[in-house]
Amino acid sequence: MWYLTLLLPIAASPRCLRICGAEDAILLCGDGAYGLHNPALRTKGVKVFVLAEDMQARNLPLPDWADSVDYPGFVQLSLDYSKVNTWL
Amino acid sequence: MKFAIAVFSAAHAPSSRRALLFAQAVLAGGHEIVRLFFYQDGVYNASNTLVAPQDEQDVARQWRELVNAHQLDGVVCIAAALRRGVLNAEEATRYQRSAANLDAPWALSGLGQLHDAAQAADRLICFGGP
Amino acid sequence: MSKSLLVISRQAPWSGPSAREALDIVLAGGAFDLPIGVLFMDDGVFQLAPHQDAKAVQQKDLSANLQALGLFGIDEVFACRHSLGERGLTQPANAQPLDSEAISRLIDRYDQVITL
Repeated sequence: MWYLTLLLPIAASPRCLRICGAEDAILLCGDGAYGLHNPALRTKGVKVFVLAEDMQARNLPLPDWADSVDYPGFVQLSLDYSKVNTWL
Repeated sequence: MKFAIAVFSAAHAPSSRRALLFAQAVLAGGHEIVRLFFYQDGVYNASNTLVAPQDEQDVARQWRELVNAHQLDGVVCIAAALRRGVLNAEEATRYQRSAANLDAPWALSGLGQLHDAAQAADRLICFGGP
Repeated sequence: MSKSLLVISRQAPWSGPSAREALDIVLAGGAFDLPIGVLFMDDGVFQLAPHQDAKAVQQKDLSANLQALGLFGIDEVFACRHSLGERGLTQPANAQPLDSEAISRLIDRYDQVITL
């Protein structure tokens, strides 16, 4: 059972990563997109996605360890994973 | 697939807009929205007294339009709403308040509706925070 | 069979309404006999600290809500061990401490999650 976490606040990344399993994924949205600067996100082996509009709005480059999704992709991700936990 | 969408943030929050766009994408993808449930500051999305600046997106109006266009079940948690001054006519009368600011298509109800939606849906997605 | 729901409560007792509103979701689920669990994490573990005095700040005393969990058939009550340690809190009487890996497995067990 894999779950997808929506990660919004910047500071939430380390706390949330502690409880992510290797098969889980994180979707960075809103200010969570700044997490693309956070090297900790790539070390755990968790798949990282970022909502395209939030990356674009903030002019953030997409690193090779993350994938960008639009809203249809966001919907699909929520179905690809068994549940979604929004980390406020 | 069936989605239950819970919104915890007000209309001016980017997360409410994000929930709206997600909901639109769900429907565009041919899926069903079992219920929209507004809780915490999400109840403010249902207020009919919000005034968005003309050069800004009117998210509250767009929520209303989405609910009307697709005949969605738009439920606002009554306890959270009362606490925040979002009242329909019945509650405004009950509590002797000078005005009501919630009307159709929104319905005030309890947290049981959130649980009911979660049970019926394949996915429960929450939106909140900034 | 009913879908199970885990509510993760991350806010301190009186930093806005989140702590109370998270518990309200849990209790409402209990009232409908749904399989509900609650995990206190990050500042949410402060809700479990003993001898707090809500009246001193004219706030709602959440300890009654916490005590009601059992009455509503909600026995799955957990606290993040790491969060407790970070905040100098001892093991709470009313929640089972879990380490991070156990929390990951806990979240796996539930069909749905709400974090407030």
